[in-house]
Amino acid sequence: MSSVAELPSSIAELIPLTLLRPGQSGTVDQVLGTGDLVHRLREMGLRRGAMVEMIRPGSPCMIRLDGHTLGIRSAELSGILVRPA
Amino acid sequence: MSIAADPQTRTVALIGNPNTGKSTVFGALSGVQQRVGNYPGVTVEKKTGRMTVDGKRWTLIDLPGTYSLAPRSLDEMVAVDVMLGRRPDTPKPDVILCIVDANNLERNLYLVSQVLELGRPTVVALTMTDLAEERGTTLDLSKLRDRLGVPIVPIRAHKRIGLDALKTALAETATQEQPSSAPESPFPEPFQAEVARIEGWLADARPGLPPLPRYLVERLLLDTNGYLEGHVALKNGNVEGLHAEILASRQRLAEAGCPVPAVEAMARYGWAATMLDEVVTRPDEPRVTSGDRVDRVLTHRVWGTLIFVAVMAMIFQAVFTWAIPLMDLIDAGVGGLATLVEGVMAEGALRSLIIDGVIAGVGGVIVFLPQIFILFFFLGILEDCGYLARAAYLMDRLMTRLGLSGKSFIPLLSSFACAIPGVMATRVIEDRRDRMTTILVAPLMSCSARLPVYTLLIAAFIPPVALAGFVSLQAITMVAMYAVGVITAAGVAWALKKTAFKGPTPPFVMELPAYKWPSPRVVLHRMFERGWSFIRRAGTIIFAVSIVMWALLYFPRLPESTEAAFTQQIAALEAQREAAAETEAAEEIDAQIAAVEARADGEQKRSSLLGRAGRVIEPVVRPLGWDWRIGAAAIASFPAREVVVATLGVIFDIGSDVEGEEGASRLQVALREAEHRDGRPLFTIPVALSVMVFFALCAQCVSTLAVIRRETNSWGWPLFCFAYMTILAYIAAMLVYQVGTWIAA
Repeated sequence: MSSVAELPSSIAELIPLTLLRPGQSGTVDQVLGTGDLVHRLREMGLRRGAMVEMIRPGSPCMIRLDGHTLGIRSAELSGILVRPA
Repeated sequence: MSIAADPQTRTVALIGNPNTGKSTVFGALSGVQQRVGNYPGVTVEKKTGRMTVDGKRWTLIDLPGTYSLAPRSLDEMVAVDVMLGRRPDTPKPDVILCIVDANNLERNLYLVSQVLELGRPTVVALTMTDLAEERGTTLDLSKLRDRLGVPIVPIRAHKRIGLDALKTALAETATQEQPSSAPESPFPEPFQAEVARIEGWLADARPGLPPLPRYLVERLLLDTNGYLEGHVALKNGNVEGLHAEILASRQRLAEAGCPVPAVEAMARYGWAATMLDEVVTRPDEPRVTSGDRVDRVLTHRVWGTLIFVAVMAMIFQAVFTWAIPLMDLIDAGVGGLATLVEGVMAEGALRSLIIDGVIAGVGGVIVFLPQIFILFFFLGILEDCGYLARAAYLMDRLMTRLGLSGKSFIPLLSSFACAIPGVMATRVIEDRRDRMTTILVAPLMSCSARLPVYTLLIAAFIPPVALAGFVSLQAITMVAMYAVGVITAAGVAWALKKTAFKGPTPPFVMELPAYKWPSPRVVLHRMFERGWSFIRRAGTIIFAVSIVMWALLYFPRLPESTEAAFTQQIAALEAQREAAAETEAAEEIDAQIAAVEARADGEQKRSSLLGRAGRVIEPVVRPLGWDWRIGAAAIASFPAREVVVATLGVIFDIGSDVEGEEGASRLQVALREAEHRDGRPLFTIPVALSVMVFFALCAQCVSTLAVIRRETNSWGWPLFCFAYMTILAYIAAMLVYQVGTWIAA
């Protein structure tokens, strides 16, 4: 079992991933949304504990995840709450 | 397939995340010995290759790139079924080769964890290790090898480094004893218990049937969209009550703190973290690579877009300026061959079949090759260096408004050169609905074959005046024809996404792979692969249709009395020609002979089956302002729309040789002078516009329809495409004619 599931979390410090400023990083905390979408995002690596860096906000936005650059539509990221670094 | 029957042949299936360089590995291992087809019943491409290792023959199967083996549709089920040996059309793989990107081991190991659970012999190939080094990442491979328990081979496929080691690892793994026990499950205890329960339930419900592989039982529990449940139920009768069992299991799992489907991500990423502990060392501060700096410009909304427009303009310039001389060369070669045959064969049906049917048919296929090769050459470079993904990223905003994604942009743009490479380029679109919509609207982009039609009619009927002093009306008409196609495509795409391809859009994610120098081997390989694929798949259909059209124009022959009259006239003129010898009069007589021959040809075409069909459909095309001659020319241009120019030449007695300045202008004059039976001029500006709009929107291109059939793996879609485009073209042409006539009156 993963230990990241037990990370302490206080909701007040969390912001939607899409609100990160260019160059700002954050740790994914909550992934909210319908089952299938959330599952697919997790499969692609947007899971709790993952480090995300915003490269270019907007829709689609450019983020860096695990050393890879991804283009994702913002609507799909609205349910991802991160803890800004 | 026959390869399954050969016990000497071993089989390896390639699986991996998108953009891990899987296709490059596949290409490097199999070389040119590849076969591309389709799995029956799905839109998934079946790509197989061959290689030889220590004298043993191997079959390679390339599976679609995926982040996860969670089948949510028939298409996604293919990869799982192939690896488990559950498809009767594909041999069960002896080894599974999992391609893993060294830069993103956490996410790639998610898929590896699923593959290992299939319980098949597995080899891992580690790609992009050079990039990992550049980023300062170090890997302890021997540690990872021990933990995973499978061979891990680092390779650089485009430089052919590590391929021999990989082949050896595959051969060794294939000959090893299969592990007797099922592989260790990464899932927590309660989940494993529920899987065992469902396994037991299925064994009771399906006596005599082989047990479902454990991996699929896990998926039954995990995949909440119910696809697999339906799949299992469909194939194996008595599983009533399965759904209730699954729901009960999920309920118990939720209470035990293992909610479905979140438990999978937790378990697999947890497993990956354990595997990678002390294996990966990254620099504290991520290094800013040169690629990052390039990206700041290339994906910039303003600068990036400007650069994109410039790059595309350059490619199109190349496609047109480089392809045209080659296409002319092919045309000339085909023409030369026809002349040669004309010289050695006696006149008759067979000669006509060979010249106008076979040679013209083959010529019609290969004349597209220069454009296809050049376009795919440049797209191959852009794709391999990583720019194409950035272009899709930039264009996504625009394409979202039509319900499509940025990935549809390049295929649609390519279609302005030719819809065939455009339709073939849709393979990069993973989402089936987006891909189908893009395929179905791609033929609406005004391809280069429409240009001759526009050019002829605009030159003949649109007055060469300038609006506001500098904008030519002729140029505006040309632009308007392109706009008609684009606007219609936007409307059709929007409508298709609201109806036939309605449904939840999967999350739109695209990887923007690291920039690299394109590999000439990969680029050339892709170019030839796509070019041959076009010839093989589309060629036969185009060829068959060309022969049918030839027969429709050749039969029935003119009655003998009519033929004899023409033969007499020509004989008389030839006698005069002999007498005139080299004088100036001789040239005039030559022209007269050509005119009589053209008239005879025209008479023959008018009385042919197609000419008669033209007359039959005259009432149908009259609302468009056409007469039977234009109608017949439109039918005759079904194989390829540019044929309409030559056909108009024949029907209006100019002869089919309307290439070149003189021929074209003679045809323009003939069209301007053509009259209805009551003496009204046939072509007015509204009629010319109606013909142009019809050709802008119609699906008169059998090659495109053949490629749509091949890409969608069904006859239904090309038929639908032909039907909707023809109806749209008809309605639009009628509107243009009726409104135009009303304005003019």
